[in-house]
Amino acid sequence: MTSAGPDESIWHFDGHSATRHHPRLDWHADGFTLDWGTGGSGPHPWSALVPLGGTAGRSVYGLRGTSGWRLGFTGAPPEGFAIHLPLPARYGRWIDRLGLWRAIGLFTVAAAAILFLVVSAPRWIAPHIPQSWEDRLGDAMAGDFGGRLCETPGSRAALEKLRRALGPDVPIRQIAVANVPMVNAITLPGGRILIFEDLISEAKSPDELAGVLAHEMGHVRHRDTMTALVRQLGLSVVLGGLNGQVGGAINGLLAMSYSRDAERAADDFSIHALRRANISPLPTAAFFDRLSGMAGGDKVERATGWMASHPVSSERKAAFERSAVKDHRYAPALTPAEWKALVDACTDDPDVKKGGGFFF
Amino acid sequence: MDDDGARAFRFHGNWRDYAPIAFTNLLLTIVTLGFYRFWATTRTRRYLWSQTQFIDDRLEWTGTGMELFIGFLLVLLLLGIPILFLQFGLQAMVFQGYAGAAFLLGFLAFAFIFYLGGVARFRMLRYRLSRTWWHGIRGGADDLGWGYGVSYMWRYVVSVIALYLPVPWAMIALWNERWAKMSFGPFAFEANATTRGLYGRFLLFYLLPIVLLVALFAVGAAIGVAGYLPTDHPAEPASPVFVLFGVLTVLGLYGGLGIVALAYYAKFFRVAIDGLSLSTLDFHFNARTKDWFRLVLGDIALVVLTLGVGVIFLSYRHWKFFVTNLDASGEIRLSELTQSTTRAPGQGEGLAAAFDIGAI
Repeated sequence: MTSAGPDESIWHFDGHSATRHHPRLDWHADGFTLDWGTGGSGPHPWSALVPLGGTAGRSVYGLRGTSGWRLGFTGAPPEGFAIHLPLPARYGRWIDRLGLWRAIGLFTVAAAAILFLVVSAPRWIAPHIPQSWEDRLGDAMAGDFGGRLCETPGSRAALEKLRRALGPDVPIRQIAVANVPMVNAITLPGGRILIFEDLISEAKSPDELAGVLAHEMGHVRHRDTMTALVRQLGLSVVLGGLNGQVGGAINGLLAMSYSRDAERAADDFSIHALRRANISPLPTAAFFDRLSGMAGGDKVERATGWMASHPVSSERKAAFERSAVKDHRYAPALTPAEWKALVDACTDDPDVKKGGGFFF
Repeated sequence: MDDDGARAFRFHGNWRDYAPIAFTNLLLTIVTLGFYRFWATTRTRRYLWSQTQFIDDRLEWTGTGMELFIGFLLVLLLLGIPILFLQFGLQAMVFQGYAGAAFLLGFLAFAFIFYLGGVARFRMLRYRLSRTWWHGIRGGADDLGWGYGVSYMWRYVVSVIALYLPVPWAMIALWNERWAKMSFGPFAFEANATTRGLYGRFLLFYLLPIVLLVALFAVGAAIGVAGYLPTDHPAEPASPVFVLFGVLTVLGLYGGLGIVALAYYAKFFRVAIDGLSLSTLDFHFNARTKDWFRLVLGDIALVVLTLGVGVIFLSYRHWKFFVTNLDASGEIRLSELTQSTTRAPGQGEGLAAAFDIGAI
C-alpha cells in the first residue's frame, strides 16, 4: 500500500455536492481509496477510472457509474499512482488506435473509393431498374404538367412524324409542347419529353427542333434521367455529413461531370438520328451558335465551361457541322403546314392553362 | 464566494494551443466527407470549456461525438420526410392538378418544420447544460421543450401578423421561458428580462430602411433636377456624381443596417443575461455595440485574409468573446450546490444543428 497527499494539487468532487475535498490517496496493485478525514471513497479498482482529459498541466478522471465523481491533479499525478491511470482519448477512439496520419490516409482512400462508386455506379445500376418503375416515377413527378400541355390534332401529328423519323425504336411514351416561356426541352423519367414553347417560337426551322428533339431522345435511349436520379440520391446520402453549402457545391460539381459525358452521347445520338432521317444537321449547328451568343460568346463559355452541364456550344456546333454531307439534298423535317401547326399549338389549344404561376 | 472585483468568469485559452485542435479537426472532417465534424465539435468544446474558469474552478464538457452523431441521424429521420415532401412531392402534386391539397400539405409541412425550430432551440440549451460540469455538478432541464415549441410558434406568428413590431417582445418572452425551465444542480434559473430599453434600438432598425428610402428619393430627385441623371443623355456614361451616389447608397444600406442590427442585438444580449439569475447569483453581460462591432469586423478580416481557412477559429473567438464579457455577482454556497436530478438527454443537439443555430 502506497500513499500520497493530502495536498492542494490533488482534488476530488464526490458528485453529490460541489464541496471540494483534498483527499489522501492510498493505492496498491488492484485499486485505490480516497480519504479526506470526514469522508472517503473506495476502494475502487483501477479499471473504474475514466480519463476525462485536461490541459495545461491538469488531468481529470471520472469514476465509471458515478456521474460527477472527479479526481483531479494539478501538475503531474504522484509517481506510482500515475502508471495505473488510463490515457485520455485525443481524436476519438478509432483514430487514436490507428494513429492520426494513418487514419487520415485510410479515410482519404475510403472517401475517394466511396465517391468514385457513387458517381460511376449509377451508370451500371440505372439500366437494371425496371422500366415500369421509371414510368410510374415519371408520371408521379410530372402528371399532366398542371394542364400546361398544348395539343391540337395538327401538332400531335407533327410530333408523331418527328418521333417516327428520329427514333422509331426508342421507348418514348410522350412528346409534348408545354406552355412554359423558356428556350429549353427536358426529358423526364419514363420516356417523356417536354418541349417548352419558346424553343419552338425561337426556332428558325423544324430542322432545328428535330436536332434538339433527337438529342432528348438520346437521353431516353441511354436512360440518363434515371442515372442522374440514382446518382443524386447517392450523393446526397454520402455528402449529407458535410454542411449544406460545402456539400451542395461538391454535389453540383460531381453531378455535372456526369452530365457532360451524357450530353455528348446524346449529341452523337442526335447526329445519327438526323442522318438516318435525312434531315440536315446544319440548322441545329446554327442553333448552338445562337445559344453560344446568349451565353456570352465562346471565350466566356470556355472559361466557365468546366462548371457548365453542357459541352461548350462551339464544340457541339462543330460536331453537327462535320456530320453534314456536302451537296447532299436533305429533306425538311416537317412540311410548312405541319410546322405551322406546331408553332401555333399553344395559341390554338383551347384548354391549355396560360400564365407563369403554377399555383392558382 | 464574494465577487471582490475579480471577474467571476475568466478565459485561459490561447489560439496557439487551439490551432492544433482546429487544423486536425479540419483535416479529419475533409477526409471523412464531413462525418468527423461531430467529434470535431466535441474536441473544440472540451478545450474551450476546460479553459473557462468560473470563480475557483474550470468548466468541463462531457458531451461526446457519438451522441451528436446519433442526434444528427434522428433529425435526418424527423426532418427528412417533410423536407423531401416540400422538395419533390409538392411539385409532383401541383403538376398532377392537386394544387389546393398540395398547398395545404405544404403549409402543414412548413408549420411542422417551424415548430421543430423552436423545440430545437430549447433542446440545444438543455443538452449543453446537461453536459456542462462545474465542481462535479451539472445542469439540465426536466422539461422536454414540446410546449416551448408551441409558444415559439404562436409568438412569432403574432409578430409577423403585426408587421414584426412585437419581435423584441417575442424574443425576450421566449428567452425567459426557455431559461426558466433550466437548472444547474438543485437550483432553477430565474429569467426576468424585460423589453425596457430594447424598443428604441429595435425601432431604429425597423425604421432605418424607410428613412434611407425617403432620403434616397430626395437626393436622387435633387441630382435629377440638377441634370445629372444619365437618362437625360443615354449615350453618355453615368456621371461620377451618380456613381458616387449609388455606392454611398449601397454602403449606407448594408453598413448602416448591419450596425443598427448589431446595436439591437448587443442590447438584447445585455438585457436578457442581466435578467438571469441562479439562486443567489446574478449574471451580467458587458459587451456593448462597439465590442460586437469589433468582433464582427475581426471575424470578417480573419476569414477574408486567410481565404476562408480562418472559419475554423470562429467558434474559439465567439466563445472567448462570450466568456470575457460574461460576469456574475452574488454568493454561491458550495455545500448547497448538490447534484442535478434532471434526466440527461441521451443524444446531442442534432435538431439545432439542422437549423444552423448557436454554432459554438
